[in-house]
Amino acid sequence: MSTITLTSSDGVDIAVERAVAERSVLIKNMLEDLGDSGEAIPIPNVNEAVLKKVIEWCDHHKNDPPSASDDDDNRRKTTDIDEWDQKFMQVDQEMLFEVILAANYLDIKALLDVGCKTVANMIKGKSPEEIRKTFNIQNDFTPEEEDQIRRENEWAEE
Amino acid sequence: MSPHTTSTPTSTRRRPSGSLRPRARTAVQSIPLPKDFTFDHWRETSPVEAYCDQVATAVEEIEPFPQTVPRRRAAKSFSSLRHPMDGLVALGRRLSVTLRHKSSKHNMRVSGEEENDDGRHYKVSGHGHKRNAASGSWDVRPQAWTMACSVNRRPSLHSVTALHDFYAPTAAVPAPIPGHGSEPPIIPNDKFFGAAARAAAAAQNEQMDLARQLARIEREKALDMRVTQDTESGIGIDLRDPSDSDTQLGVMRIDPATYLPSEIMTHILSYLDPASLLNSELVSNIWHRHASSPHVWKPVFRGAYPRRPASSTATKKKQPAGLGKNQPNQDWKRMFLVKRALEQRWKEGKAAAIYLHGHKDSVYCAQFDENKIITGSRDRTIRIWDAHYPWSCLKVIGPPPDEVPGIGQVNNPSQQATGKSPFLTICPPSTPLEGIVTPMDKSLDYHSASILCLRFDEEIMVTGSSDYTCIVWDIKNDYKPIRRLSGHRAGVLDVCFDDRYIISCSKDCTICVWDRNTGELLKTLVGHRGPVNAVQLRGDLVVSASGDGVVKLWNVTSGHCVREFPSKDRGLACVEFSDDGRTILTGGNDKTIYQFDANTGELVNALQGHTGLIRSLHLDSMGKRIVSGSYDMSVKVFDADSGELSIDLPGWTTSWMLNVQSDYRRIVATSQDSRAVIMDFGYGLDGIELLEE
Repeated sequence: MSTITLTSSDGVDIAVERAVAERSVLIKNMLEDLGDSGEAIPIPNVNEAVLKKVIEWCDHHKNDPPSASDDDDNRRKTTDIDEWDQKFMQVDQEMLFEVILAANYLDIKALLDVGCKTVANMIKGKSPEEIRKTFNIQNDFTPEEEDQIRRENEWAEE
Repeated sequence: MSPHTTSTPTSTRRRPSGSLRPRARTAVQSIPLPKDFTFDHWRETSPVEAYCDQVATAVEEIEPFPQTVPRRRAAKSFSSLRHPMDGLVALGRRLSVTLRHKSSKHNMRVSGEEENDDGRHYKVSGHGHKRNAASGSWDVRPQAWTMACSVNRRPSLHSVTALHDFYAPTAAVPAPIPGHGSEPPIIPNDKFFGAAARAAAAAQNEQMDLARQLARIEREKALDMRVTQDTESGIGIDLRDPSDSDTQLGVMRIDPATYLPSEIMTHILSYLDPASLLNSELVSNIWHRHASSPHVWKPVFRGAYPRRPASSTATKKKQPAGLGKNQPNQDWKRMFLVKRALEQRWKEGKAAAIYLHGHKDSVYCAQFDENKIITGSRDRTIRIWDAHYPWSCLKVIGPPPDEVPGIGQVNNPSQQATGKSPFLTICPPSTPLEGIVTPMDKSLDYHSASILCLRFDEEIMVTGSSDYTCIVWDIKNDYKPIRRLSGHRAGVLDVCFDDRYIISCSKDCTICVWDRNTGELLKTLVGHRGPVNAVQLRGDLVVSASGDGVVKLWNVTSGHCVREFPSKDRGLACVEFSDDGRTILTGGNDKTIYQFDANTGELVNALQGHTGLIRSLHLDSMGKRIVSGSYDMSVKVFDADSGELSIDLPGWTTSWMLNVQSDYRRIVATSQDSRAVIMDFGYGLDGIELLEE
């Protein structure tokens, strides 16, 4: 079991099992292209806290089978999230968004999906006002604009 | 020393409790840009940056538990502290709260609680918002309060349930402590700082409703306690007070639409259901931009209306499902709105009637797709109609016109006492026969008697006739006959086919299996004791319904009957095999639609409602509708899941209904009164054409 070292954006070295780190396509490709020189791999976009969180996820999922086909049409657009991932995602919004950004940057598709589903579940079934409260968003519509969108969306015949 | 450099060393320190703590740095450093720039960017996008100018409104906007902001109470606690009121009521209120927190926390610390986490220590200097340099970096921010809410040092939050965390942060929360009494606390920082630890919990909106209820209860309790609370060191009580609405301000809430790149926002929104997505459009301008994008609406539309799963046993030509074309640049949102309006029409039973005049006698059979409707009649002709306006007859296949027997005019339906009438009736003028009648020269074939049944796919059409034969027609070559299938010793009552076989059934009580490509008679299935009225094929299974009152399931390879499904006592006229091959529907003389489990033979349901022989059945598995046509002159629609009658369409023609078929927007029914009627639920819907496949 080989181990590699990742350096977070804030300069912290973190030792990771190679198989775990290779959940990241970015790191996997990097290791394949450059070979394992034993040098620390800099991850300039992700700080220590987020990187550790991401590694925690990768470690839990290191034995997952490769994800099924990514055909956009056939992929079930389900927002089901397995229990461990749900717990994993019980973090504040900033950490959640940072994990999503890191998953995007590191190219960890499954983690990106789980993160996005988590946010989607925070939106689902909510009224616009409830969504605003959830994310502290100011309503910047004029009443006319809001009315216009409402009318368009409630469009029905006659 | 720059604030940034002060914060850097903290990252190398070991954190005993896990990874969640240094939240402030998360915001600042994870973005690979110069830090100052990053921060400015962050500030610009912060929806609450105008805090200082709009304190009071900010409170109202951010408050997640609306009922927890009784100004009265705030004023009370404020006045109890005898703070000067300078007009910024909300700010003052917050100040009072903060002081209260501070004092209790302070007491706690003095009383000897061990601080084993450097993050909890910070000192407030007289002139700045500076924390202990080792503890984080929020002091770098000019608008410190906007960032302070991101300072969140919480040991392994995810191991605690959100709700628990919300109400019991207690000692894990680094409490603001004023610098030794004499120095004024830094109000906004402290307030948000103290509250930040509750962030994730409140952010978990699954808990929101429950939290609301609990909050109400807690608030009532807290109101009672508040009177004496200020002088106590009962920190647990104080921190647990969820009625303190101001703490909610500190819950970290970030607009993902501004925080995340647009492709990720698209990704997130694409998981929503249409209703949630429509609500998302109303959140703000930027949300509207994201949520109305076709990139989002396409997966959402496809998720709400999944395409038919590929099934190896579904062999009949696919009915249009109204799911749009498979091409780029479609207005997916519009498609959803049209689809929703169409579904509403089905629910209300609201359809236009479009009558196809032309046949001179009973129209026994019909099949349609998005472009054409093909009908077969007792007048020995086959007619091909345009499925769109103006629904003209495009072609007549059969004997020369003068040989076609004619009947008189028919009446249009009048208003019905019960059931649904057309909301609009359209009778396109009959198309003049010149030019549409195929100049059949004698060498070409046509049926010499009634057309009793027909089926087509993309390549061929097969018709069955009272002249005992079937004819296979080349659809791609102007409906030229390819060959005639001769073998039955009586009229061919029904026909179906797939890639390999053509199956025909006859009044002669037999079922013939033909090779689709050569026309060779492969097998004759014998066993029915009456005319075989209807037949369907799924994979290797053939299901047939007979006037002897029995449905038989056959294996087409072995030629053996593998199962029988008896009706109560009378003859069966029609049969339908679900796409998945699991359900068999049949109906006939006893006015009941029987639903059988094809695997077990069990009678699953018996649908009542018709008052005459059920002549024709169609199962739309996509729309989950069973459509039936009856000698009682009505067409009825049943919910395929519940078996409930959902639409009754009586008397749209003036005689028996002989054939029905439906797709996502219409039913085409043919009648003994020589007409076919399109019951078009999509008629006049603006944009309905977007759903065409």
